[in-house]
Amino acid sequence: MKFMDWLDERLAVRQLIKVMLTEYYVPKNINFLWSFGVLIMVVFAILVVSGIFLLMYYKPDSHLAFDSVNKTIMMDVEYGWLFRHTHAVAASIMFLVLYVHMARGIYYGSFKAPREIVWITGYILFVLMAATAFTGYLLPWGQMSYWAAQTITTLFEKIPFIGPDLVVWIRGNYIVEDATLTRFFALHVVFLPLLLIVFTAIHLYAVRIVGSNNEDGIELTKEEKKHGKGIPFWPVFMAKEFFVISVFLIFFFYLVFYQYKFAMDPINFTPADYLQTPTHIYPEWYFLAFYEVLRGFFFSQNLGLIAFVLSMFIAAFLPWLDTSPIKSGNHRPLYKILFFIFVADFVFLTILGKLPPTGLYAWLGFAGSLVYFAFFFALPIISRIEKKKLEGGR
Amino acid sequence: MKELKILLILVVVVLVGYWGIEPYAHSVMHGEVKKPDYNYSDLKTTAATTGDPAKGKELFVANCASCHGLKNDGINPGMDKNAAIASFNVVPPDLSNIAAILDHKFLAAFIKNPQQATENPKFAMPPMAQLSDEDVGHIIAYLSSVAKKNLDGKEITIEACGRCHSIKYQKIYAETPAENLKAYLGKVPPDLSVMGKAKELEYLETFINNPQNGLPGTSMPRLGLTKESTEKVVAYLDQIADPHREQRNKLGMWVIGYLVVMVGLTFAWKKKIWKNIH
Amino acid sequence: MADEKVSRRDFLLYAMGAWAAVGVGSVLYAMYKTWEPLPEVKAQATVTFDLSSVEPGQIKVVSWRGKPVFVLRRTPDMAKCDGRSVKGDYTVVLGICTHLGCIPNWEPDKKIWHCPCHGGEYDACGKNIFGPPPRPLDVPPFKLEGNTIVLGEEGPEYKQMKEKGLTV
Repeated sequence: MKFMDWLDERLAVRQLIKVMLTEYYVPKNINFLWSFGVLIMVVFAILVVSGIFLLMYYKPDSHLAFDSVNKTIMMDVEYGWLFRHTHAVAASIMFLVLYVHMARGIYYGSFKAPREIVWITGYILFVLMAATAFTGYLLPWGQMSYWAAQTITTLFEKIPFIGPDLVVWIRGNYIVEDATLTRFFALHVVFLPLLLIVFTAIHLYAVRIVGSNNEDGIELTKEEKKHGKGIPFWPVFMAKEFFVISVFLIFFFYLVFYQYKFAMDPINFTPADYLQTPTHIYPEWYFLAFYEVLRGFFFSQNLGLIAFVLSMFIAAFLPWLDTSPIKSGNHRPLYKILFFIFVADFVFLTILGKLPPTGLYAWLGFAGSLVYFAFFFALPIISRIEKKKLEGGR
Repeated sequence: MKELKILLILVVVVLVGYWGIEPYAHSVMHGEVKKPDYNYSDLKTTAATTGDPAKGKELFVANCASCHGLKNDGINPGMDKNAAIASFNVVPPDLSNIAAILDHKFLAAFIKNPQQATENPKFAMPPMAQLSDEDVGHIIAYLSSVAKKNLDGKEITIEACGRCHSIKYQKIYAETPAENLKAYLGKVPPDLSVMGKAKELEYLETFINNPQNGLPGTSMPRLGLTKESTEKVVAYLDQIADPHREQRNKLGMWVIGYLVVMVGLTFAWKKKIWKNIH
Repeated sequence: MADEKVSRRDFLLYAMGAWAAVGVGSVLYAMYKTWEPLPEVKAQATVTFDLSSVEPGQIKVVSWRGKPVFVLRRTPDMAKCDGRSVKGDYTVVLGICTHLGCIPNWEPDKKIWHCPCHGGEYDACGKNIFGPPPRPLDVPPFKLEGNTIVLGEEGPEYKQMKEKGLTV
């Protein structure tokens, strides 16, 4: 304890532990979906640690990258395969956890005042994570890596005036080549993770200030939470969190050892060939829904591109689209229906995104894209209905 | 209860999504893989598949040995490797073990008409029209008599694929130089080091049996491997592409066992702490 | 009663912590293993060399684990070496000066090794005969298989030499 005293005098650790853990209260009426924030941190930690070990053998050079991954790391380094499987599966599962975390926020209205900053920083984190995943996906330099980078960078060509020059600038070449690989590598291992850490700090700070939302969406004061309506973060909340993490890790490592193909596509075990596009190319599953919106407007490339960009960013504006005073979906029957239609539509788009965009699939994709946007454009209308109802009830 | 309901929704959503992007999407993309045909029933030939080995040897020396060697019987090819590459852009194989890995009916049809049997109109070997049906049988009998039995997967793979394909992670390099192969086949054949991961094994079997069934228009000739040889090649490609499978499967059980204990401990602790919270 | 509750809770917490430590330990072990030399590096741990390929009076340099090993076949006019000798008239030594690690050069007319860095000299047996080197050139672990020498493995001849303290 003497050491604690010594530390306390210099760093006020006791005060810090109180503020951060033992006297930080979260509402009692929250379910395990509120554990997903910490799960994201866990997956991020797994990614950082496994990534560091991959970094020790990976070679960011278009002539060496494929073999350094598939020979050196996967075959020669002891447990190298474990670190690669873990990294690949964690990157994929990160998005599952992120989507659940975001869906929880959307359903329970956690983006509403006073949590707009929490939502916005969270959304920035999502976009940064997407960029990290995209840049990281190029590194194994397989066919899928290569053509994903080639097609997605080509999208920038459609930007008026500067587009074509911008694409060459991003690639550092007329096609995706060595220069692209090396700069994506730098972004993936240094720049983007740094930004992720900075925004995670802001995100967590903002949550500490405004506190967690809850199932009923009714704000609780600190006093209320202290006396009966809340539980301290440590040990009560974390006791549950540890359980959730352990269960999650079983699922996670089951995938790592036995069911990893969804995160390590067979096509990517063929080295990148800039003269031959694979018969089937598709993004990783977590981008499929947005990709399907891009393809959904199959009759107009420009419209598809605008829809694609809009679909990626429209959710960032939720706090201003949904202005209803009621927060939680539990108390908003109409919103609840819309929410589940939206979730179903997102899954639907994800599945369609991997199917060939022909015939019926093309039209289904178009319909799915419209439903996707319909959810967001219905929000102001629902908000008005709910506001009127609330006023009428008074 | 309420939490279980939420979990159930979550699980259903994840499973539906998974079904859609993995099994369903792949079934749509790849369709039915054609079954391999080890009878080579499309090949109609009247040539015999067996005969007298002694006569076969004479015929071999007279008709085949100008290009092909037969190390098992001490026969060297009439032209050296470089001369062969210069004239054919591919090394003619040593035929020591060919009868052990190829289907004999295919072999008979092949000797008569290589272009038809391999389904490759540019196949380098000319048809042996001068040989009678019986002659072909004698030659096959001779080849069978000298061939080594019980070749393992690696040996068969090198015999069957090694003239054109490298397996560089195993330090096996194609016998024919890449630029000649490009001239011969139009492109450099892919390295096979991780082919077992890049393709489904079922597909590989069909493809090796008949490349045109896997990749229509490919310049890879049909090889005419027997069922056993094909399966050994596929098993070998699978094993070299995923050398740590056993270690992975074993370690996986340990890790999951460890975590099951962890779940027990965390659950007990959670219950203890939450006992008084309702 | 309250005390009992706390101790039970603590026990579970400690058990959890201990179990987590087991997990962390295993992960650390896997990490430790990733830093081991790769198979292709380990393959260089032993090198075989045919001694009969060296002519009398000739020196050949063999690269073993990235270091030069001098193989000298001595002629009668060179120093006699008794215990330090391999297969009678061969000197097999690590070509790294025991002073500060430079690589000495053979001077055929004097039949000695001369270190360019600080002027240390070794005779044909690798014994230090002049200058700063504190001890003779090291003899690398070796095993004899007929005329072939395997560097990197300890054979009986090497062990004998080691027991007599002649290898360093």
